[in-house]
Formats: sequence, structure tokens, C-alpha cells
Amino acid sequence: MAEPVHALTEDPTATAGDDTATTAIEKANAELATLVARASSLAGSLGRADLVGRLSQTTSRLSDPTVRVIIVGQFKQGKSKLVNALVNAPACPVDDDIATSVPTSVSFAEEPAAFALVRSENGAGEGIDRMPIPLDSLADFVSERGNPDNERDIVGAEVMLPRELLRGGLRLVDSPGVGGIESTRSVSTLAALSTAHAVLLVSDASQEYTEPEVQFLKHALRVSPNVAAVLSKTDIYPQWRQIEQIDRSHLGDVGRIPMFAVSSDLRMLAAQEQDRELNEESGFPALVAHLRRDVLGRAEIVHQRGAVHDLVSVVDQLGMAIKTELNALLNPQDTPQMLADLEAAKARADEFRSRSSRWQVALSDGIADLIADTEHDLRDRLRKVQREAELSIDEGDPGPIWEQIAEWLDQRVSAAVSETFVWTNERSRWLSEQVAEEFTAGESSIPFIDVGDTEGVLDPVEQLQGMDEGRLGAAEKIYIGVRGSYGGVLMAGLATSLVGLTLINPLSLLVGVLVGRRAYREDMSARLSRRQAEAKNLARRHIEDVVFQVGKQLKDRLRLVQRVARDHFGGIADQLHRSLSESVLAAKQAASVYEKDRNGRVVELRQQLARIEALRSEIPVPAEVRA
Amino acid sequence: MRGGVLDDLAGLVDDARELYAGDAGASELLARYDRRLREPLRLAVAGMVKAGKSTVLNALIGEKIAPTDAGECTRTVTWYRYARTARITAHLIGGGEVRMPVRRSEGSLVLDLGGRTADDVAWIDVEWPSESLRSTVLIDTPGIASISQEVSERSLRFLTPTSSPSEADAILYLLRHIHGSDVRFLEAFRDTAAGATQTVNAVALLSRADEIGSGRIDSLLSAARIAERYRHSGELRALALECIPVAGLLAEGARTLRENEYAAFAELASLDRAVRDRMLVSVDRFTRATHETSLSIPRRRALLERFGIFGVRLAAALVRGGAQTSSELSERLVAQSGLTDVQQFVADQFRSRGAALKARSVLRGLELLLEDKPRAGSAKILAGLERVTAGSHDLRELALLSELRSSETALLPSDASDAERLIGGAGTAPLARLGLADDAGREEILARVDEILTHWRGVSESPLTDHQTSELCRVVIRSVEGVASELSVGGGSDRASADVVTASGPA
Repeated sequence: MAEPVHALTEDPTATAGDDTATTAIEKANAELATLVARASSLAGSLGRADLVGRLSQTTSRLSDPTVRVIIVGQFKQGKSKLVNALVNAPACPVDDDIATSVPTSVSFAEEPAAFALVRSENGAGEGIDRMPIPLDSLADFVSERGNPDNERDIVGAEVMLPRELLRGGLRLVDSPGVGGIESTRSVSTLAALSTAHAVLLVSDASQEYTEPEVQFLKHALRVSPNVAAVLSKTDIYPQWRQIEQIDRSHLGDVGRIPMFAVSSDLRMLAAQEQDRELNEESGFPALVAHLRRDVLGRAEIVHQRGAVHDLVSVVDQLGMAIKTELNALLNPQDTPQMLADLEAAKARADEFRSRSSRWQVALSDGIADLIADTEHDLRDRLRKVQREAELSIDEGDPGPIWEQIAEWLDQRVSAAVSETFVWTNERSRWLSEQVAEEFTAGESSIPFIDVGDTEGVLDPVEQLQGMDEGRLGAAEKIYIGVRGSYGGVLMAGLATSLVGLTLINPLSLLVGVLVGRRAYREDMSARLSRRQAEAKNLARRHIEDVVFQVGKQLKDRLRLVQRVARDHFGGIADQLHRSLSESVLAAKQAASVYEKDRNGRVVELRQQLARIEALRSEIPVPAEVRA
Repeated sequence: MRGGVLDDLAGLVDDARELYAGDAGASELLARYDRRLREPLRLAVAGMVKAGKSTVLNALIGEKIAPTDAGECTRTVTWYRYARTARITAHLIGGGEVRMPVRRSEGSLVLDLGGRTADDVAWIDVEWPSESLRSTVLIDTPGIASISQEVSERSLRFLTPTSSPSEADAILYLLRHIHGSDVRFLEAFRDTAAGATQTVNAVALLSRADEIGSGRIDSLLSAARIAERYRHSGELRALALECIPVAGLLAEGARTLRENEYAAFAELASLDRAVRDRMLVSVDRFTRATHETSLSIPRRRALLERFGIFGVRLAAALVRGGAQTSSELSERLVAQSGLTDVQQFVADQFRSRGAALKARSVLRGLELLLEDKPRAGSAKILAGLERVTAGSHDLRELALLSELRSSETALLPSDASDAERLIGGAGTAPLARLGLADDAGREEILARVDEILTHWRGVSESPLTDHQTSELCRVVIRSVEGVASELSVGGGSDRASADVVTASGPA
């Protein structure tokens, strides 16, 4: 904190020793962008506005690939300092005592700036206001000292810094500490994890992992695709290598998680003195490399694969009508046969995009089942909690120990909700995979006609299947959709997803405590059973509330998954249908073209085709995604 | 103060032993209670895994005997008690005991279970000829929230048994930060032990205080601020009497400081400031090859292991600040580490109430036994127990203190905090109770006593005061009267003799 604020505005270069070379990925990005622009103008000249629209989404996704990395861990493990050390700036307030109370996201901008996200209630209901604040007063907004019990009603803060590391779209999110897996906060942290591209779990070198940390890692692995562990404060613990060994052995039981031992203090000192060697010692270069290569790089490769897929599919669909027409002109005797096949294909494509197609059915049935299951799961877990609560209330006078009961209840309910959340998340991902499989299977059942050319160069279906053979799983395709083209939907929810869902309303519990305490004081001699009944009633009502609120939130999440998947695949199906229709039209028109026009048209079509094929040949083979 | 309650209780335990002469289980239990009444106070060190329990225990003993390690280390409950010759006994689960060889490696004991695992051993009994153990039995416990559920369970079972009084009379609870599991554990301790709140026999130590500010030289100031905040936070107030920051590793190293270590610190202190700062940037830098100092790498590594990077930084600074000899350095380090405050607290709060604390545990144990297995003569003993409870002002003070700490009373907030101090919540020394300085004159004391008594009699007799509150006032008045008589008879000497022998007196 001693660092002056002007440090934020100067020296945007990275610390000596970091790997700052522009990666091959970034270059490939630029090349892809020009290809997309060419394909887009081609589609425009051929009158396919729908394909132009699809490509413009591709462009925006390529140019703004936000990659969210959430930094989590228990209290006082040095999370904020880690973020500061990564970006070499006091972006997140650090204090020996006071903890961070709301999440702070740090991302790239040419000019440094800071914003507080404040919950506002205007006429239209609840919203999030983005309020600009001076960088140096950030601590007043995000730490527990400046904002005790979140009296300012702040849901998060954003800091923008001109830093090389962040330029690629990396967004570091510093989260408040997680007390344990059963605390209310951890539920919202888990919810936030599910929207992040990567997670860094910070634990300091003073001791090996505790049970809550290992538990948390297990949950995180189920929710997030890219989890890494950071061992912090290696500068003050002589035994950090031993701790690292022990932690690695604990990690071995959990799953494959890379681990980085770092010292934020050394890194900051290195930045101050521009000491390359010290930076190496801090362990940060490896962590930065991980963020660039395995997090950012991987996300970009996924983006690129998505872009390549879009390009290939668009170019192929563009070529489809031209080829068909050319074929019909060159081999008029085949036209009737071709027309019949095309009509059949079109009919199937029509069916494919209708509500009764297999993938649509799989999707809507799956979501309906999932909603029912989720609700049942939640109720089942909470009923167990309720039964336990009632038993313990029956054992004695709940009045004096009501606060403990309330706290216990809160913990148990949170744990139950966490479980349900993780479970639902897994199931919905699995469902997405199922739908994607149905979709690709259905797509391949639409035969593609190319009578004159048996090579099937223009087979978009095969291309989609080809992608399946790569490491890009069917589920990731949906995620491309979720994170990219439909980012808008998520952007609207970003402010809330940043803090996660406030699954349990702390107010309701508070009321319970107050009522409980009053009941206890009001009438010391009142009948025990009346108090017990009242306590049970409170517990029951609280659980009912939780079921109601959490159930609604989970349902909304699932509906969002459904909508995104339907729009994503539906859009592709629509485009396919239109391409086939145009091909039919082209074939029909070809039959009616006069002899004298024919040659001119053939030349024109050949030219167009040549342009398309030239473009097609330039599309790079997408890079592999490292798992 | 002592004597009375314990003798009465010992008599009752004897009566009970006659009553249960035929019952082997009960007899054994009673024999244990009997021993317990005569033994020194039992002080347990508990806390989360890796909170530094064994280290603090070593610092209290003044000898590095409990094994410590970077990984999780203590896996069984271990008792350290005084004896003239060293002896280690493992008590097995399901009865039976095994003598273990007394072996030490680099000072600390090697607790070799000889093929048995920690699961077979109920507890380990270490008898050790250390002066510090004469007045206190120290109990080391495995950490809570260990990855191994079994190990945590073992500690919880020991400290918070559900069907018998806790084996420990008082507890040092080490916490590194307010942590979900910490508070839950403290609460369990409060709820189960003897069915009443135990706030009065617990103190929270904010451990590893030197690490709070990443080992910066002002780390302990930060730690003191944090402890201050905890002290006033509602959660902890109801659970422990005090919150004291302590840098365990520093204290342990300081109390066992060797001459060659002092020489090493002196050499570090003599280095050029820039060179020293550069060396002490990180543990890796401190332990790598360099021409700047003649200290060998193993020696430097040993220094780090014994004192931590903060300890090395502080020791070098203290030598430069004028610590001329190893004993002077040790003294200053101990004072800085917060250990002196802990020792003072243990003496003021626990040892001076030792009789009452022990009596509490045994009383409850006897009661449970009598309820559990009623015999023809139990009623008489129960009546005796009642008499002891009612007759002992110490016990009443303890009960009131825990009540004041854990629930709200009808008193004004200022009165409540005064009452707490008067019944010994901030130390049982007479002057501390009155809130006067150690050098207060006779006149001042008399005036103060008079003022306090008038005030509390007023509150007690006010028609607006309910029955419960006036009971409370009577306990306070009785305490003040006791203080007054003690002061007028014995004068101002009030310190309970420091039983845990320090390398130096309090600074």
C-alpha cells in the first residue's frame, strides 16, 4: 500500500524476465480476422445477410476475448497481493488485518480507471450502477474497514490498467476469502467459478492444505475446467519446498492440478528495482507463463477454433448454391435427379430445425428432467437438514442456544446448496454434450448432393464431425456459443455472476435470530414446548425460503442453458436450411437459362467459385487444444 | 484462597470411594479425581492444525522437547508433566501401557510408537525433569481440521468429551485468524464441558504473530492491532477471556538461545545495512552461497529453522539496538514475542484460580458419576457437593464471570464491565480488580473500596433491581470485601509467583 498511486499510470511494460513476446496465437488471431472480413464481404455480395451476421459475431469474439480468472482461497492467504504482484500495481488494497469484502476485477484499458458496482433500486427494479471512483480510494469500497458489513451495498469493483499481461483479454478477479466449504460465501464463490475460464487457488506456504481447502479444490475441479494451485509467501517460509511436496501429494489424490510456488513480495521488489534475477526467484514467470499459455492461450485457441469453424461453414454454404448452379448448367441432364435430392435434403433440414427434431427434443426433455431432479435433490438434502435441526431442537431449550442453531443451520443449508449447485452444473454440462451429439448426428443425416463432384469438398457436415475428432469436445462448442456469440446474455448477468448468486438471503436468517432472541427474553418461564415449536417453525420457514429462492435461481440458470443451446444450434440449422433452399433455387434457375447466357453465367460462377475456393484454402487448420 | 475447596472435595471423593468400593470402573475414576485434585493445574494447548501448538508448548517449557515439523506433526494427545527422571509411556486404547525409549533428535523427543500407529495409542505421557512443569501439566493436542478426520476427532474427543468433564482445567487456544472451524471448536468447548460455559478457563492466542505482516519488522504491531480487534469482537469475547498475540517460533528460539547463535546474529548485525537487507529479502536468498558473511550455509539454514526470517531480522536489529550479550538478546526477544504476556496471563488468571478450576472439573465429574450410578449414600455426597459449590466464593466468581461474558444482564454496560473486573476478569490481583495502579497508596485504595462498595450496595438495594441482578451484586460486593480485607491485612503484594519459570522476569 506504500506504493504511490502514480505507479498505476506509468511504466506499462511488464517486469523484466516475464515472457512478453507476442504469441503466435495473437498473430494467428489477426490473420483470422482478415479472413473473416473477406468472407463477410463475399457473403454480402452474394446477398446472404444471415451469414454476414454470423461472421460479425465471429469478429467481435475474436477482437474481445475476455478470459476470466478467479483467484480464490481462504482468508489472508495473499490473494489481493498476488493480483497486485501479477500486474505490478496496487490494484487491490492489501492489509495485514482487514480482508477484502467484495470481488475486484482487474482488466485491460489504455487509461487506468476504477469503478464500483453498486446495487441500485430504481423504478424499473434492481439494477447495477457502475460508478467511477478514484483509484486511490478503492480501499474504502472493497475492504471490510472502509465498507463494514457492506453498508454501501457494493457488489464488486472493477479496475482497469494499461498492462501488457492483461492486453490479451485476461481479467483477474480477486475474491473475498472463503472460510470453509460450508460457509455461505463459498456457495457464491462456486457459482462464480462456473462462469470463469480458470481458477487459481491460493494457499500460503505456512502449512499444508487443510481439509476445507481440499474439499474446495474437489468442488472447484467439478465446476471449472482449468484449476491451478498457487503456493504463496515463499519468501518467509524456509520449509516451503517441503510444504509444496506435501501439498502436491494431497493434490495427487484430487486430480491433475498444476502448482506454482510464488512470492508476491519478491515480485514487487523486483519490479521496483527492475531486478530480473529477483523476478525469477519470485516464481512468477512460471505463473505468468501458465496464465498466458494454458489459460489465455487455451481460451484463445478455443475462440480460434470457433472462428475457423464459422468460417469454413460459411464459405462452404456460400459455395453450395454456386456449385449447384454450375453443375446444373454444365450437366443439364442430371438436373432433375439433383433437384429431387436437394428437395429431399431441404425437407430434412426443415425437419431438423423444427421443434420435433431429435436434438430439440433431447434438449427440452433434458432440461425439464433436470429441473425436476434439481428441485428434488435440493428438497431432499434440505429435508435431511431440517430433520436434524428438529432433533437438536427437541433435545433441549432452543432459546439460549438459538444463535448457534441458526449458525449451524446456515452452514448446513449452504453445504447442501453447494452440493446441489455443483451437481446441477455437472448435469447441465452433460446435457449440453448430449444435445451436441444429437445435433451432429442429425446434421450428418442430411445428405449433401453434389452429383458432378464426388469428392465432397463442400461438406460442412463432415467438417463439424471432423472437429469432434479434435480435442474440442461437443460441450466446448456450446461454450463457444455461451461465452462468445451469446456473451450478451451473460454480460447482462455479469455483475451478478461476478459475486455469484446470493443464494441465501442473510436477512432472513437475521430475522430468525432476532425473533428467537426476543422469544427467549420475553418470557423466561414460558413453556419449553412452545419455544421448541417456535424454533422448529423458524427453521422450517427458513428452509422453505431457501428452497423457494435457490430453486428459482437454479431453474433460471437451467433455462438460460436451454435458451443458449437452442439459439446456438437453431441458428446453424436455419443457415443450413437457407443454403439448401438457395441451392434448389439456383438449380431450377439454371434449367431456365438461355443457351446464349449460359456461357457467360458459367464464367461468372467459375470466378465466384474460384474466389471462394481461394479463401477456403487459406483457412488455417485450427490448433490443438491442450487438455 | 486455596486449600478449602480442594480439601472439602478430597474428603467427598474419599467418601465416594468407600461408597463405590466394589465398582472397579468407578473406583478407578475416583482415584483419578483424587490424583487430579492434588496434581498441578492442567493446561491444554489446542487449536487448528499447524497453529504452532507444539512450538508454543516448547516455549512455555523453555526447552525444545515436543517434536515440531513443517508438515502436520502432533498426532496423539501428549502430556508433559514433571518428574525427577525422564520417562515416556504410551497408554494404549483399551487399556495397557508401553514404556517408550527416551530418545532425542536435535533436542526434540522422538516419540517412537514402535510399530504401533497413532490410532492404537490413547495418549502419551512424558515425564520430564523441567522446572517449568512443576506447577503446570502441559498437554499438547493434535490440530483440529486436519486432513485426517481421525486426528481431528481425537483432539475433539479429548478436549470436549460428551459424558465426562474435560481432562484439561484450562486451555490455551491458538488461532491464526478467525476461522470457521476455530470458532466452532471454541463453542463446542464451551457447551459440553461440565454443562456450563467455560469462557473462564480459555485464552485465545493469536499465534504465529510474526507471519501476519509477511515477516516485516513491524509485524508484531500489526498482530497486536488484530488481537485488539478480536478482543472486542463479540464472538471471541464470549469464548475466551483474552486474546494475546504470540510469535511461538521466536519465543521458542529465544528461550533456548545458544551462544553461537548470538554470535551469528552479532555478525549479521555488523554487516552493512544494504548488504544485510539484500540477504534477508527472502529465505532462499538468505541460505544461498555468498561471500558477504562467514556464516556457513548450514548455520544460516539452522538460524532460519529456529527463529524464522522474522526472528533473524528482529534479532539482528536488536543486537544493533544494543543487546550486548546472549542473555540480554534472549530477554528482549522473549519480551517481543509476546510469551511474557502469556506467562503473566496464565499466572494471573489460571494459576491463581487453580483450585477453583480444578474443583470445577472434579465437581462435575462426581456429580455425573452419582447421577449415573446412584447408591444408598449418594444423597449425602450430593449434599456435600452442593455445600462446596455454595460455600466457595471462587466458584461463584467463576460462574458469574462466565455468565457476564456469555449473556446479557440487566446491568448497565459500564456496570457490567466494572463487575467483570471486580470479580477478577482482568486478573485476580487485588489492585487489578480495583482498577488501580500497582503503586497505589493506602488512602487511594480505601477511598476506591469505599466508593465501589457504596455504588454496588446502592444497585443491589435499589427497588428497581430484580432478584437475579441483586444476587449478582452480592457476589461482586463479596469480592470487593475480600479484596479489602486482603489488602489491609497483607498489603500490596499481589503477584502470584510465576510458576512457569522464564529465562527472565517480565519486562
